[in-house]
This record gives sequence, C-alpha cells and structure tokens, in this order.
Amino acid sequence: MFDSEVLLPDLHEILGAVPLTLAMALAIFVLSTIVGSLFAMVEYRKIPVLRQLVVAYKVAFKGVPMVIVIFLAYYGLPSTLHALAALAGIDYNGHSTPNWVTLIVALTACVAAFQAEVVKGALNSFDTGQADAAYSLGYKRSQLFRRVMLPQVIVAAIPDLANSFMVIMKALSLGFAIEVVDIFAQSQLTAALNFYYLEAFLVAVVIYMVIAYAVTQIADRTERALRVRT
Amino acid sequence: MIPELLSALPLTLAITFTAMVAGFVLALITTALRVRRIPVISQLADLYVSYARSVPVVLQLFVAFYGLPVLVGVFGIEDFVSPTIAAMLGLSLYHGGYLSEVMRPAYLSVERGQHDAADSLGYTFRRKLLRVVAPQALHIALPGYGNAIIYLIHNVALVMYIGAADVMATAHLVMERDYNQYQFETYLVLAVLYSVLCLVAWAIVRFFERRSGKYASNDKTVSAPLMASV
Repeated sequence: MFDSEVLLPDLHEILGAVPLTLAMALAIFVLSTIVGSLFAMVEYRKIPVLRQLVVAYKVAFKGVPMVIVIFLAYYGLPSTLHALAALAGIDYNGHSTPNWVTLIVALTACVAAFQAEVVKGALNSFDTGQADAAYSLGYKRSQLFRRVMLPQVIVAAIPDLANSFMVIMKALSLGFAIEVVDIFAQSQLTAALNFYYLEAFLVAVVIYMVIAYAVTQIADRTERALRVRT
Repeated sequence: MIPELLSALPLTLAITFTAMVAGFVLALITTALRVRRIPVISQLADLYVSYARSVPVVLQLFVAFYGLPVLVGVFGIEDFVSPTIAAMLGLSLYHGGYLSEVMRPAYLSVERGQHDAADSLGYTFRRKLLRVVAPQALHIALPGYGNAIIYLIHNVALVMYIGAADVMATAHLVMERDYNQYQFETYLVLAVLYSVLCLVAWAIVRFFERRSGKYASNDKTVSAPLMASV
C-alpha cells in the first residue's frame, strides 16, 4: 500500500513548484499589505464614507470562503476587465487573462481584508504619548510617521505578517481548481502519473511544514534584531 | 436552484457538527498533553498542532482520504472509507489542532495564584479545573473559538474536492445541467449562503461571550481578530 521508493523522485518533482509558489505568495503578500495599509489608514484617520465602505468590504470578504472568491473572480474578472478596457478604449481581450493573474487578484482581495486588521492592530499598539512628545520637539507629521511610528509599528506587526504569509502560501493551494500549479497542485499531478497518491501528498505535507518552520524562524530573528531595547 | 442547493445543506452541516464535536474532544486531549509537558508525547502533540496549522486544509483532506484506507488496512479492517467519512476525519483533525492553539493560551493565561488559592482550599484537581480554571479560561477562549468555528465553516466548502456531495458539489451539478450559463450567479448565491452560516455561528458565540463576562477575573476585554485559515 505504501511505497517509500517513490518518495525521493516525488520530492524532486514537487520541489520544482516551490519557487513559483513562493514568488506568487510574495507578490500577493506585497500587494495585499499595500491595499490593507490603505484600508487601515482610512480607519485610523476616521475618514467618513470611505471608512464605512472599508468596513463593508471587510465584512463581505471575511464571511465568504476563499474558494468561492476565487471562482467568482475566475468567472467574473475576465468580462469585467474586457468591459473596462472597452470603456477606456484599449484593445485588450479580457478573456485571455492568464489564470495565475486571476488567482493573484482574488487572493489579494481576500487577504487585504485581513492585512487591514493586522496593520490596524499595529497602529493601535502605538503609544500616542510619543506622538505628543515628537510634536513638542517640532516634528512634522511626515517626520513623526517616518522616524517614530514606522520603526515601531513594523516590529509590532512582524508576527502577524508572518502568519499572513503562511495563510497566503496555504491559500495558493486552492489555485488548483483554476489550473494554477503550486506545491499542492504539483503533488496532485505527480501522484496522477504514478498512482502513489498518499506518498506524494505526504511529501507535500513535509514541504509545507518545513516552509512554515522557516518562516516563523525568520520572523522571530527579524523581530529580535529590530526590536528597540527598552 | 436555491431549493436544490439547500437540499445538500444537511450533509454540509453534518460534516461541520461532527468536526466541531470531534475536534473539540481532540483539542482538549491535545491541550492536556501539551500543558503537562510529558516527554515525547508532548512533542508529538506539538507536531500534530503544527501539521494542522501549517498544511493547507485541501491537502489535509486528501491525506485523510488516501491515508485512512491505508491505516484501516494495517489493522486488518475492511475498507469502509467514503468521501464523507474522510471529510469528517480530515476536518476534525484540522479543527482539533487549530482549537488546541486557542485553548492552550487560554489555560495558561489563568493566573498561577488562582491555582494556588484553589489548592490551598483543598480542591481536588478535577474540582479545581471545573470550578476555578475552566470558567475563566472559557471567557478568554471564546473569541478565538468563534473564529475557529468560522474557519471550519469556510473550510467545509473544500470537501467537494475529495468527492463529498455537499452544497458546493451540488452547485457544480446544477451549473453543468444548465450548460454552465449561470456560474457567476451560482457562486454569488453560495457566497451569501456561507456568509449567513458564518453570521449565525458568530451570533451564537457572541451571545455566550456576553454571558461569560461574569467569569472574567478582571475587566480587560478579550478579542481575537478574525484572520484567515485555509
């Protein structure tokens, strides 16, 4: 039933999908952090109207499973892009959008809602007394943000950001439904060729756990190195 | 279309409830093993928790689906594994591991002094746990528990990939019968359905959260931001 001989060739084949998975995860991580930070800024500054929209967005994307968002994007995004391109007068066929772009857009939309929460939590952890101190020293608003807030907020957010990165890595596994090949999809393809399903999936399990371990280690080290000693 | 989708809801709910109950029991056992720090066994429990948390749920479902027959075969029992049973097992393992990471911090956050006070009053271990530690830990764990339930509902949407005939699978059948005309609309209906399920679960947990306030040892409000878990 269980054949250990296929483990090594399987490992070799599945490892081939790791760089692409990491690259896609990194792209989604950066994009969703930017969008999430914008959302968090809107809430932090309490901008009317926009704030209510952000809250509605977060509620909508937190209630819906990611698979469904991915399918909605898969069936809705190409025609939307097509219509937008026609509106702007650009000659672009929305239906030729590659699937990995659809996946990145869908996951960015989902994860941005959670990243907003992470950034908001980090902003709230900032002690406002320091802002008063900085203003009394004649800091401008931009200087306060860059010199005082940012270094502390980033450190406070590191554990949650590492967590989000792992969430993105795992969420990419849903891409196999729309034919994007990541670690999980590769393990499925490998298994389909030689019919050793359990073996290929166990290899993928080990790869995911090693990546998770590496991500937490890197996050811990960075946090320790950046934390200002008090 | 909607009545047809709702006809598959009982199976989805059955899988959810099985995973909820079995996962809760598993989480209790795992947490007990992890806080008692028994050599080897505690490490194994830690490994299980990191498996449940760092491996995508789709992959966990596939591992359960292909692994359970092998496991059953080792004990010489006839293969009885259906996709539904594999889905229940896979999600129970996932939920149990995730929940253990909610329970352990909650247990540890009950002050040492509370244990000492109960011991000095001559409480037995069981009575101490039930009367003193559990109520306070419950109050701290409830927000995290609510999140875990929402993640579970989200991840039930994935059981169709191993062949369980849940709401998602039924939706696929309905779409194919209609010559794939209404895919986007069908997924919108599904999105609303899952949102409603999450909302109901959230409202129930919120109700208990309010009532458990009287067990709080201090006035600190506990909250756990909803992240994502796939």
